[in-house]
Amino acid sequence: METLLIELLKSLVSGLLMGMVFALVALGLTIIFGVMDIVNFAHGEFLMFGMYTTLLVSPLMGVDPLLSLPVCGVVGAALGMVCYFGVVRFLLRGPMVAQLLGTFGLMLALRNLALLFMGSEPRLVKSGVLVGRSLVLGPGVVLESTKLAAAVLSIVSFVFVWWLIRRTKTGMALTATSLDKEGARYMGISTERMNALAWALGGASVAIAGGLLVNFWPVEPNVGLLFTMIAFATVALGGFGSIQGAFAAGILIGMIVYIPPVWDAATSFAGVDAPTIHGFKYTFVYLIYFLIMVLRPQGLFGWKQ
Amino acid sequence: MRKLAGILAAAFLAALLAAGMVQAADKVVKIGVIYPLTGGAAAEGRELRAGAELALEIANKLTPGVDMEMAKNAGIKSLGGAKVELIFKDHQGNPQLGADLAKKLIEDDKVVGILGCYHSAVTKTVAAVCERFGVPMINDSSTSPALTKAGYKWFWRTTPHDAQFTRDLFEFLKGLTEGKAKGVAAVPKADLATLASACEKTEWGTNVDDQIKSYAKEYGFNVASSILYAAKSPDVSAEVQSMIAAKPGAMLFASYTSDAILLMKTLQSMKAAPKLLWGQDAGFEAPEFVTTLGDASNGVLTRTVFTPQVAQVKKVAGQVNELYKKKVGHDLSGASARAFTGLQAWIYVLEKAGSVKPQAIQAACNSIHIPGEQLVVPWFGIKFATTGEDIGQNVLGSGMIGQYQKQGDKITLEIAYPFELATANLIYPLKGF
Amino acid sequence: MEAVKNALDFSDFPRLDLTVAGLVLAFLLVFPALPHSGFAMATMIQFLMFSLYGMGWNTIGGYAGQVDLGKAQYNGIGAYTTAVMMVRWDAPFWVSMPVGLLFSIMWSFIIGYPLFRLKGHYFAIATIATSLVLKDVFESWDFVGAARGLAIPIRANLPDFLYLQFRHDYYYYYILLALFLLGILYLNAFRHSRLGYQLRAIKDNEDVAKSLGIDAHWCKIKAYAVATAYVSVVGSFHACYNFNIEPEDVMSLDLSVLIAMMALLGGAGSLWGPIIGAAILVPLKSYLGDWLGAESGLTGLNLVIYGVIIMVIAGAQPRGVWGMVEAVRARRRGGHAAA
Repeated sequence: METLLIELLKSLVSGLLMGMVFALVALGLTIIFGVMDIVNFAHGEFLMFGMYTTLLVSPLMGVDPLLSLPVCGVVGAALGMVCYFGVVRFLLRGPMVAQLLGTFGLMLALRNLALLFMGSEPRLVKSGVLVGRSLVLGPGVVLESTKLAAAVLSIVSFVFVWWLIRRTKTGMALTATSLDKEGARYMGISTERMNALAWALGGASVAIAGGLLVNFWPVEPNVGLLFTMIAFATVALGGFGSIQGAFAAGILIGMIVYIPPVWDAATSFAGVDAPTIHGFKYTFVYLIYFLIMVLRPQGLFGWKQ
Repeated sequence: MRKLAGILAAAFLAALLAAGMVQAADKVVKIGVIYPLTGGAAAEGRELRAGAELALEIANKLTPGVDMEMAKNAGIKSLGGAKVELIFKDHQGNPQLGADLAKKLIEDDKVVGILGCYHSAVTKTVAAVCERFGVPMINDSSTSPALTKAGYKWFWRTTPHDAQFTRDLFEFLKGLTEGKAKGVAAVPKADLATLASACEKTEWGTNVDDQIKSYAKEYGFNVASSILYAAKSPDVSAEVQSMIAAKPGAMLFASYTSDAILLMKTLQSMKAAPKLLWGQDAGFEAPEFVTTLGDASNGVLTRTVFTPQVAQVKKVAGQVNELYKKKVGHDLSGASARAFTGLQAWIYVLEKAGSVKPQAIQAACNSIHIPGEQLVVPWFGIKFATTGEDIGQNVLGSGMIGQYQKQGDKITLEIAYPFELATANLIYPLKGF
Repeated sequence: MEAVKNALDFSDFPRLDLTVAGLVLAFLLVFPALPHSGFAMATMIQFLMFSLYGMGWNTIGGYAGQVDLGKAQYNGIGAYTTAVMMVRWDAPFWVSMPVGLLFSIMWSFIIGYPLFRLKGHYFAIATIATSLVLKDVFESWDFVGAARGLAIPIRANLPDFLYLQFRHDYYYYYILLALFLLGILYLNAFRHSRLGYQLRAIKDNEDVAKSLGIDAHWCKIKAYAVATAYVSVVGSFHACYNFNIEPEDVMSLDLSVLIAMMALLGGAGSLWGPIIGAAILVPLKSYLGDWLGAESGLTGLNLVIYGVIIMVIAGAQPRGVWGMVEAVRARRRGGHAAA
């Protein structure tokens, strides 16, 4: 019984942490979507660029990987602006399908640029404050420091973005743009500038996430795709454009991912010789996404379809 | 008179044809090589390519100081000294692309045969193309047991397959409990009786998982947790948590490079403390595994077919390894040694066939016997099965289990199994992270 | 009868279109007789396969305007039905293909019903989700070989028309070409059909369409089933052509996305669009990969170029290449009128 409880507790804590990591990765996507109704296929590639930035910058400047996070933010914001002015601006005229097509092309281009310049071998930050550290809470309850840091950053970023959107003039302009483009334009808000701002903000937030994650996850050019998929599911589940929705959905998905170890603990406690269900880890995510969507088509916290 | 003229004409024609053939053979013999040079397994692909290229250099020119038949000839002697040319293609881990490239090599480049393809899934589709076209294919590096079960007439495999490698693992575990391992007293069986495995959910990993389960039963071990995880997963901590919860004596893995590194990192940060860690080749013996993980790799076991330590027991391996080091900058790995051996098999087969006709090559493959002392890998030789369950499988191959050991600043892969070849004392149990 | 007449009725196309289509058809018919490389043949087969995928996608994605990114699951159902029936019961292709078709359509109704409650991005991502769920199921399902995949044994006597096994690719090519022509004819009939008009009405304005008494939900489900049929048949073909299938190979997210991308790039919602898209992207991908592949030392450059071309077309003309052609035509017509 005790082992079962411990396993349950472990899964709960790890799921919570992992969920905050997923939410952090999805934050940028939800900002961009909220302002301009565009799904960015290249989201995971922004993450990858952030990871490579830390990997290259921190030994170059001789500082801890953590201190290179501002650089990641700048790189991400710049990348977001370049992508907006270079590509996305032209896609906005078209229907949703053209945007999917365009950002898909962007994804291919970014991913393979990384392949061209960085090669395909997985790389990892080897030393740093967070690298290889973990926090032991109790018997077998271990928190990886990178995840812990990512969770803290996640909370900070969400609060910051929430404050930005709700409490500042710029944020209100962003909200106005997302609610009614025409109306915002009449009020003298430059939608062009708001869109660019959303991309810069979105790019920066996900690149910072990448810079932090590379303390634990190895980076290679294809690393983005699975994070993109999870970010898609997170954002859609929370309701497109809903900041608090993305946070809640991220945590929900983090919990779902820890169903298999709970199942294992439960079956071994019950003494049943059942097969593991780890192969279905992401299946549950997609399945639950599908079910929630069908029952509540606007997402958990969404208000527009 | 007429009859004589007929015979003369026929003889003349035959001579002409023969001359033409010798002429053709004089130039080059082309072999198509299909490897994953980009994509998820590009690191392994680069190793494979370098291994095959080194074998090519040795075959095409006189290489003094290497005790191999092919080093003593420049080109294929029985084909009038014809040089061998390799045409490399990149399948990116995509079976459909692999099949299309095989067609290109066969129909457009007119290769006499194919070497490749590392990923078992790609090897399967390429082997089917070769079978349809009647073109010989030698497989150097795919270990799925299913490949030689199809009964193909144009497919031969030099490397041992996963059934054999997995049996080696259990022989090793059994030996450990019997005190056969170098420098370790007999381990109580209870210490190792519980196993946990994580294999990637692909054709290769699923087969390894099957093998582990069936051999565990045979050898009396209990696989408490056998996980098939989604390859290239962003996170594996849920999987690792389950493995740790099973409290296994040994943890077993089948993963490519990026997953292998992530698994090790996760084990490390979650303070896993297995007594033994074993990887089924692939990611665990890629050069990046050690360079990325550094000290954390100390004590990890991987099955392999080659480590530079083989040179201690086999002179020719040392000679080739020196050449490889000069060419690439690091030691031969399991992947490059297997690619080297695969191309070497091709050279010997061509030498024996004395012709580039598919039928002649087929006959040569089915009857060839390359003695073990010719090879860099510690096998008994190369001889392909022509009957039975594993048609086309090399019956003289054998596997090894190596252990990463840190000595000073350097991490080397020492031989741990076969026990009689062991080059260092086994690190057991692992310190834990 | 009406349907057959519709299928053969191409009279609403300008003469130029029909001339070009005729020339292309003539080229496709004689292509195997022209001097060509084996790689070109393999590329042409890919082109025909993706044209068919794209035509199918066009019914739901183009005419009905629903962005479906989960078509790979039906490719998988078709491929697996054929492979399982061949391996286990020795059933010929011509038996297993219709069975696979039936399974695919049944599955499309089952998930289509809840799916079409969703719209826009929610719908697109839900289609991805369903496809990935099915792939995960196949990867763990031992009856169909799980992640090991299924290998179809090669028969003793080739060519074998019943089991679709041939030594040379031109057999596959002509069978696929026949399917391709059938596909065009069916799509042409679909365009003129009641369902076709209803879908376009829904795409223009769903609320108006509903007020006219069109059951939008049911219409979309039907169009989804039509799209499914195309993909499933090609899936069955793919199993025979490759002799070996795996979930990762036949049901991957990449395939789903590629199917949509090719149709979109060519121009969704037009008869020729998906074919043009496949004709551009398939050879571009094959040959760029070959020229700039491993030998060049510029690994990745081919896909950078590929990505940039997709971006440029998407940015320049949201309705794809066919949209460009129509824009030029409209301008010309306007110009003449002014003159």
